[in-house]
Amino acid sequence: MKRRKIYFRKLYFTIISVVFCISFSTAQNSAAPKEKMSSSIQLAFNKKADNSKHITVKVSAKNSDNKRKPAENAHINFYAVNKDGEKNIGTCLTDNEGKSELLLPKDIPLDTAMTFHIVAKIENDELYENSDEVILFKDVTISIKLNAADSNRMVNATVVIIGSDGKEKPVKDVAVKFYIQRMFGIMPVAEDNSMNTDEAGLASFNYPKEIPGGSTGNLSVIAKIEDNEFFGTVESAADVKWGSVIEAEKNPFPRALWEPYAPPSLVIVICVLFGGVWSIYMFIFYTLYKIKKEKSNTQIEFDTFIKK
Amino acid sequence: MENNIISYELDDVREDSLRPTHKWGRSTKIWLSILCTIAAWGLFAFIFQLRNGLGVTAMRNYVSWGLYISTFVFFIGISHSGTLVSAILRITKQEWRRPITRSAELLTFVSLLFGGIMPIIDLGRPDRILNLIIFGRVQSPLLWDVISIMTYFTGSTVFLYLPMIPDMALCRDRLTITKTRFDKFRKWLYTFMAIGWTGTKNQWHMLEKVMNIMTIVIIPVAVSVHTVVSYIFAMTLRPGWDSTVFGPYFVAGALYSGSAGVILGMAFFRKAYHLEKYMTPRHFDLMGRIVLALTLIYAYLNLNEYWIPAYKMATHEGVLLKDLFFGSYSGVFWTLQFGTVLLPIIIMAIPKGRQILPLSITCIVIVIGAWVKRYIIVVPTLLHPYMPIQEVPADWSSYFPNWVEWSVTMGCLSGIFIVITLFSKLFPMMAVWEVEEGVEIEHDKQMAIDIRKKREVEKLAKSGVSVN
Repeated sequence: MKRRKIYFRKLYFTIISVVFCISFSTAQNSAAPKEKMSSSIQLAFNKKADNSKHITVKVSAKNSDNKRKPAENAHINFYAVNKDGEKNIGTCLTDNEGKSELLLPKDIPLDTAMTFHIVAKIENDELYENSDEVILFKDVTISIKLNAADSNRMVNATVVIIGSDGKEKPVKDVAVKFYIQRMFGIMPVAEDNSMNTDEAGLASFNYPKEIPGGSTGNLSVIAKIEDNEFFGTVESAADVKWGSVIEAEKNPFPRALWEPYAPPSLVIVICVLFGGVWSIYMFIFYTLYKIKKEKSNTQIEFDTFIKK
Repeated sequence: MENNIISYELDDVREDSLRPTHKWGRSTKIWLSILCTIAAWGLFAFIFQLRNGLGVTAMRNYVSWGLYISTFVFFIGISHSGTLVSAILRITKQEWRRPITRSAELLTFVSLLFGGIMPIIDLGRPDRILNLIIFGRVQSPLLWDVISIMTYFTGSTVFLYLPMIPDMALCRDRLTITKTRFDKFRKWLYTFMAIGWTGTKNQWHMLEKVMNIMTIVIIPVAVSVHTVVSYIFAMTLRPGWDSTVFGPYFVAGALYSGSAGVILGMAFFRKAYHLEKYMTPRHFDLMGRIVLALTLIYAYLNLNEYWIPAYKMATHEGVLLKDLFFGSYSGVFWTLQFGTVLLPIIIMAIPKGRQILPLSITCIVIVIGAWVKRYIIVVPTLLHPYMPIQEVPADWSSYFPNWVEWSVTMGCLSGIFIVITLFSKLFPMMAVWEVEEGVEIEHDKQMAIDIRKKREVEKLAKSGVSVN
C-alpha cells in the first residue's frame, strides 16, 4: 500500500514537473542569445509652435530572412557635433513601430556654418548592430501676423533665420503651408494652401470665411514649413476669432447610453426588482440568525433527526 | 423493485450518504491530481495573458468576445439545472426529486462561480473590475448582468445551503473522533455550517419557511439571469443578435443543457459513490422525459430564431445566415441542429433511449452541443459587422481560440470538477433528511393503504363474503 502511495506521488510530481518544464522552456527560448540584426536610422527635425525642437527617429532592422521590420527597443544615443567634438545630448528607446522622439535641449552647440549637426548612434545594443545617421539643419522661426481689413482676412507669415552676426535675416523661396487646428489634427485652409516667401521672407494667405470655430468662434491658425531640406519641419500658430460660431445642440441623443443619468422609470424598475429579491435574502439571513439563536434560548424539544 | 422510486430502507440512507465523506480513495487522489495539474496549467496561461495583455489570445478588434464569453454563457446556462430540478420539482411536490436535488443545486453553484469568473478573465485589465460597480451605468445591460448574476449566485448559494443545515448537524454529531488535523477542520466546518442546529420544532418550522420562500424566489431570479445575459447580445445592433426571441431562447437553451448536466451528474455520483439504490433507472427515465420536453421547446425556439430571418434574408442578416447555412460554419451549424437537437429528441422519445447509458451519452452530446452553440452565437456574428472589415491584418477577419484561451478555459472547467469533488468528499451528496422524509412518507402511504385494505377485508367479512 505504502509503495503504491509513493508510486502515485512520484507520478504526480513527474506530471507537474513536465508541465512546468514545458512552460518554462518558452521563457528560456526567449532568453537564449540571439544574433544581432543590422539596422538603419532615419532622422527628421521638427520645431513645434511652442519653439521646442525635436528629433524624430525611425529605425528599421533586417532579420535573418533579410526582411525589413521596425526595430523595437533600440537604444539611440544622440550627439551634437561642433569644432570641439561630440557632445551627448540625450538617449531614447524605440517603440514597437521602431519610432521614438528626442526633445532637444535649448543649449545645443552650433557648428561653424551656424548649423545644428546631430548624430544618432546605435552603440553596443543587445539586439542591433552598431549604426549611425547624421542630420543637419538650420534654426528658422516663423512669426504670424493676422490682418483683417475690410472683408479680407490675411495671414502673414514671416520666416527669419539668425545670422552669424546674431541678427535676424529673412529667408526667401521657402514654401509655407497654412492650416487650421481641428480636434483630431490639422486641416489645410484651402486645396492649394502653399505660398512661397518673398525677398522679405513674407508669405501671405487670404483666409477663407465661414470656417466653423466651435461655440466660441476661436480658430488656431497654423503656418508650417514641411520637410524642408535645410530647415526640417517648422511650425507656428496664432489664435484668432475668425471662425463662425456653432451653437452645440443641447441634447442630440436623449436616450443615449452615454447620457449621465438613466431614465427614472428604468432606475425604479431595477431598484424594485432587485431590491425586492435582496430584501427577501435579508429576511432569510435574519431567519438563519434566529435559527442559530434558537439553540441557546430553548431546550431541545423535538429531536427526531439528530437523536436517531 | 428496480422500477420503484424508493427502493431503500431508512437505516441505509445515512450510511450510504455519508460513506463517501469517510475516506479519500486512491482514485479520488489521482482524479484530483489530474484536475489540479490542468488547473495549474490554466493558471499559468492566465498569468501569461495578464502579463502580456489580451494580444496573446486569438481575439482581435472584431472578435473581442471569443471562447471566454461563449463559455460564460454556457456555464450560466448549465447553472439553470439546480433551479429546474430542485425548485420546480419541490414546488410541484415530486417525491422522486429527493436524492438528486443536492447534486443539481451544487452544479448551479459551481457553474455560476466559474461562469462569473469568465467575463473577468476576458477583461484586458481585470484589476479594474470594481470600476464597473463604481462607475457603472444603470442603462447598460452589462451592469444589469453583473447585478443579476450576483443576485442569482447569492440565491443559489443560500438555496444550496439551507437544506444542508440539518445534514451538517448530523455530520457534526457523527464526527466524534478527531485525531487528524483534517478531521478537526471538518468538525469545525460542520459545526460552523450547522449554525447550532439541534432539530427543535421551531428550527424545523423556520427552516421549512425559508426553504419555501427561496424555492419560489429562485425561479424568477434564474429566469431573469439568462434573460439578461441574452440582452447583452440582443440589445446590441448586430446581425444575428438583433432578435426579440433571444430572452426565451436563451432560457430554454439553458434549461435544456442544464437538465442534461444534472443527468450527467446523477450518472457520475451514482457510479462513483454507489448510490444505485437511490438514483434508480426510473429517476433517469423521468429526467429523460423532462430533457425531452425541454429539447422540444428549445427546438421550437431554435426554428423561430433562424427560420424567420432566413425567410426575409435581410441584407446583413442574410450574409450571416448564408455563412451559417452554407459557408464556413455550415458543418458545425448543421451538426448542432441534427446531432444535438433532432437526434436527442428521437433517442429520448424511445423508452430504451431513456435508460441510464444511452441517456447519459445523449446528455454528453447535448452538453457539448450547447457549448459549441454558444460559440456559434457569439463568434460568427462578430465576424459579420455592419461596417466591412477592411485595411486590417488578414488574421483579424477570422477567429479560432489559441492555446492561451483553451488552457484558461480548461483550467476553469477542471476548477468546476475540483470544487464538485471536494464538496462530495466533505458533504453528503444527498440531502439525508429529505431522503429520509421521503422514506417516511412512502411508509405512511403504504401503512394507509394497508389499513384501508384491512378495513375493507373486515367490512367484507362482516357482510359474510369470504376473503382469501
